[in-house]
Amino acid sequence: MKHVLLIAAATALIATESVAQEITLGRFFGACEDAGTDTTTSAGEACIIQSIINAADAELDGISINTLPTDWGNYYDQIKAAYAGGTPPDVHVMHRHRIPEFAGLGALAEISGELEAAGIDASDWSPAALDAVSYNGGIYGVPMDFHANLWHVNMDIMEAAGLVENGAPVLPTSPAEMMEHAAMVKEATGQDYLAADFAQFPIGVRLVLALMWQQNANIFTDDGTATINTEAGKNAVEAITQLFDAGFANPQLNYADSQQAFLNGEAAVLVNGTWVVDFYSAEAAKEEVALDNYYVADFPTLFETGATWADSHMWAIPASLEGAEREAALKVLAFINDHNIDWARTGHMSVRQSVVDSEAYQSLPHRDEYTGTAAIARDTPPSARYGAIQDVLNRELQAIWLTDKPVEAALQDAEFEVQDLLDR
Amino acid sequence: MRARTSRRMTQTQAAYALLLPFLAVYALFLIYPFFHGIWISLHDWNLLAVAFNPDAKEFVGLRNYERVMWGRNIEWSLFAVPFWQVLGLIGLVLSVVLRLGDKLSRFNAIALGILSVLLIVIPGFHPGEGGRWFDRRFWPTVGNTLVFVGLAVPGVTISALLLAAAVNRETRAMSALRTLFFLSQVLSVTVVTLIWQIMFSPRQGLIANITQAVGGTPINWLTDQQFAMAAIVIATIWWSLGIAMILFLAGLQDISKDLYEAAALDNATGARAFWYITLPNLKRTITVVVILQIILHFQVFGQSHLMTQGGPNDSTQVLVRYIYQTGFRDSELGRASAMAVFLFVIMGCFSIIQFVVGREKAE
Amino acid sequence: MSRSYYWLVTALAVPAFIWLVPTIWMVSLSFQPNDVLARTTSSTAFGLIPLPFTWDNYAALFSFGQTPGWFLNSLIVAVGMTLGVLAVSTTAGYALARLEFPFKKTITVICLIGLMVPEQAVFIPLYTMFADFGWHNSYHALILPRMAVPIGVFLMMQFFRAIPKDIEEAARLDGVTWLRIFWYVMLPLARPAMMTLAILTFLYAWNDYLWPLVSAQQREYFTITLGLASIQSNFAQSEGLGRVMASGVIASLPVVILFLIFQRYVVQAMTVGGSKG
Repeated sequence: MKHVLLIAAATALIATESVAQEITLGRFFGACEDAGTDTTTSAGEACIIQSIINAADAELDGISINTLPTDWGNYYDQIKAAYAGGTPPDVHVMHRHRIPEFAGLGALAEISGELEAAGIDASDWSPAALDAVSYNGGIYGVPMDFHANLWHVNMDIMEAAGLVENGAPVLPTSPAEMMEHAAMVKEATGQDYLAADFAQFPIGVRLVLALMWQQNANIFTDDGTATINTEAGKNAVEAITQLFDAGFANPQLNYADSQQAFLNGEAAVLVNGTWVVDFYSAEAAKEEVALDNYYVADFPTLFETGATWADSHMWAIPASLEGAEREAALKVLAFINDHNIDWARTGHMSVRQSVVDSEAYQSLPHRDEYTGTAAIARDTPPSARYGAIQDVLNRELQAIWLTDKPVEAALQDAEFEVQDLLDR
Repeated sequence: MRARTSRRMTQTQAAYALLLPFLAVYALFLIYPFFHGIWISLHDWNLLAVAFNPDAKEFVGLRNYERVMWGRNIEWSLFAVPFWQVLGLIGLVLSVVLRLGDKLSRFNAIALGILSVLLIVIPGFHPGEGGRWFDRRFWPTVGNTLVFVGLAVPGVTISALLLAAAVNRETRAMSALRTLFFLSQVLSVTVVTLIWQIMFSPRQGLIANITQAVGGTPINWLTDQQFAMAAIVIATIWWSLGIAMILFLAGLQDISKDLYEAAALDNATGARAFWYITLPNLKRTITVVVILQIILHFQVFGQSHLMTQGGPNDSTQVLVRYIYQTGFRDSELGRASAMAVFLFVIMGCFSIIQFVVGREKAE
Repeated sequence: MSRSYYWLVTALAVPAFIWLVPTIWMVSLSFQPNDVLARTTSSTAFGLIPLPFTWDNYAALFSFGQTPGWFLNSLIVAVGMTLGVLAVSTTAGYALARLEFPFKKTITVICLIGLMVPEQAVFIPLYTMFADFGWHNSYHALILPRMAVPIGVFLMMQFFRAIPKDIEEAARLDGVTWLRIFWYVMLPLARPAMMTLAILTFLYAWNDYLWPLVSAQQREYFTITLGLASIQSNFAQSEGLGRVMASGVIASLPVVILFLIFQRYVVQAMTVGGSKG
């Protein structure tokens, strides 16, 4: 069946190629080469998005889509290089946090006037989603999701440690309580309490940011003053380092390793995003994977106010795109917008009210377990230097947990550097 | 007579006709970019902003250099970093003493002297009261690059020298071994990092699997600050030992067999022969190899970019990667170009040394 | 052979083994199923023997993968660059070595100074320049910059200088023009040097990373080196370790074969090219 579909897709591609408007599409999420065109059964971010793209390529008359490289590592460097070289992709994905940088330079097309004609109903977007793609009063993209940090829980370990109540995990409400839970887990199972990528991507940064926001603090103010070396910053960092010091978590795992540790049943909790919910559910169902009883929880509130790091993926088109190409690109955006429910299968939260209200969405696996996340989603204030700031934080936090740099010194250095970036 | 003139004319014309293709690409793709790079480094030049609006650059003179290399309240003192500075002082004294005692050639004395002075002067700068570097990452990045060079160059040179001496025999086994040691040299940097990334992985890696099988705890090679640089150096040695070995083999061919036979009469074989005959006669080759390696490894990029992404905590961040990031992630072409000019100056110095050494050989 | 010789061979077996193992492991992993590798990479003899065995990774590579396309790009770029470098280097090298003309010294010095400029010092201005021309994402963008590096000119100049003068003087007496001498007399003589330069350039082109990284953003123009870099971060994701390793093997095969066939020339190329930077 798969082969038939593929051959169909291939012939469709060849048949339409001669007359088709070719749209280049830039995205990350990783590669999925045999995604097919069935948007309803694909699994995992890479394959779901690629199946939507393949379907758009097959179903949209007169449009063929050429997907550009899909790796994360150099994505924004490459997109920038492409814009600067005058050859940006006709459609590309980006994060909400990059809008100030790209729209600020006039790189992105303002499309508020063209949405309706393209068949995109902006009023169906939730207010937060509309806000995510807006900049200086204009609309610069089509939102695709909200994604946020969650706590992925191994219920068998929690059960063994006596941390399950009414079928839900008991999560800490303070840093001290977290230590107690961690000790219980270690005592009962010998496993780590918490795993996360502290050594590679900025997942540890997002953890610390959430803990700072939970204390009603932030890393810089709206008027551009860095406020990192503060009581709140110190509390947030120490809430995590106490786990390392006591041997309840391992700071040296990178993204793949921390994920592997969780799937192998070596950690009770994995802090990671919404994007892996469907992947982990699928893994948990497999015989050979140690994780059996998988649960998803909202990021717990360890301080006063609920908060977890969140961002949005959105699709944009370059300002330079005109005429038939622009129309075609908008059609692709509309197609992606129409398949919001398929994308939500990854575990991401939908941006469309009609999807959120739908039966299909609500019955997605584990969906009811993290309904509180939308309300506590947060991010740093907008800045054109978001990427560089994340880098600074990632470096200094890694210095704390990987190289024992004193907390105060690291936070002070981070504050200086972020201030430099804000002042530039 | 007329024939001669016209012949000479055609010679000139022929020469320029033959030179033209190269001179054209050379001027267009090397000379012009080089000076254009210096020009960019004198501007506040945002990659994206200038692409959208060519007037968005601003002439700032040498400010990029200041922002990259200098800081607020930078002071100099003789014993800011005692270890290196004292080492420099010792080197300086040595170069003078040895030169006066005629134990050192003039060239070597001057080289040692310059190196020592640099060792005394450069580490001496540090931020004074309330001061700090404008770019806290630049000098540590240069430092990391030097550490990488400092580990990789002796690592490659010594292992290549030993292997070359060992396989310098015309037998089938030795020729197979030569091929083997050289083979990894032709692999691309991305294949090398691909192999070694997974080799070093604490969960999937071969090294970890073997460590665990013998009851040890696997090392987090790439995410542990103590080991990350070592891991990159190991991969580099594995990769780039070939050239050095080949150069040493060529050097070994030049050593007369008589020398060894004479030495054998004095009972100097094996390690002793290596020490008393091979090493002294290979001095020039060793110098060439070392300088070459320095130039080569100073430009390291792929290993750091792909294996550790410069981490953990910037401990494997190297100069070329910093240039790339500053230019293409932070869009600051001006600053990036200033660093590129700095890189050129350093590499240029080594090229000149290489040139001088090469000439000494020719003389 | 003496006993010490056998001792030496035995002692060398250790480094030889260390040198070989990573490569064997890569090849072995490329023949193992991805779902097994996701759990363990040391099924049989630390994974050095590909059991369980599968061809799937290679099959997938050639049916869906972009690897064949990248491979082709690398081939086009490497061959194009090699021919280009040979063309400009032999001509310029000959002129500088054998012909007399005004400003010869100056031009020679100017050409050789370029040896000091590393690729990394000019890649940013080159990038902006190619962007202004709208040249990025093309084969010539990947090929042209290397043609400007004077190492080839230097090598050919050295070589032509070493050819005895009387060969071309005889031709001159017969009234043959300079260009014809170059084409019919000098080039055939220069074949070994050209071979050396060709191999040096081909290897460089096949393995270059930084310039393709900034110049090629579209997958159509990815070289194999770049393509491999782009899938490296996806180990744990959809690609699967076996697939990634298979790509690595495919990427290395041509250079390894090339090396084994032309080993003598490669070694020569490294000796000459290496000692001159």
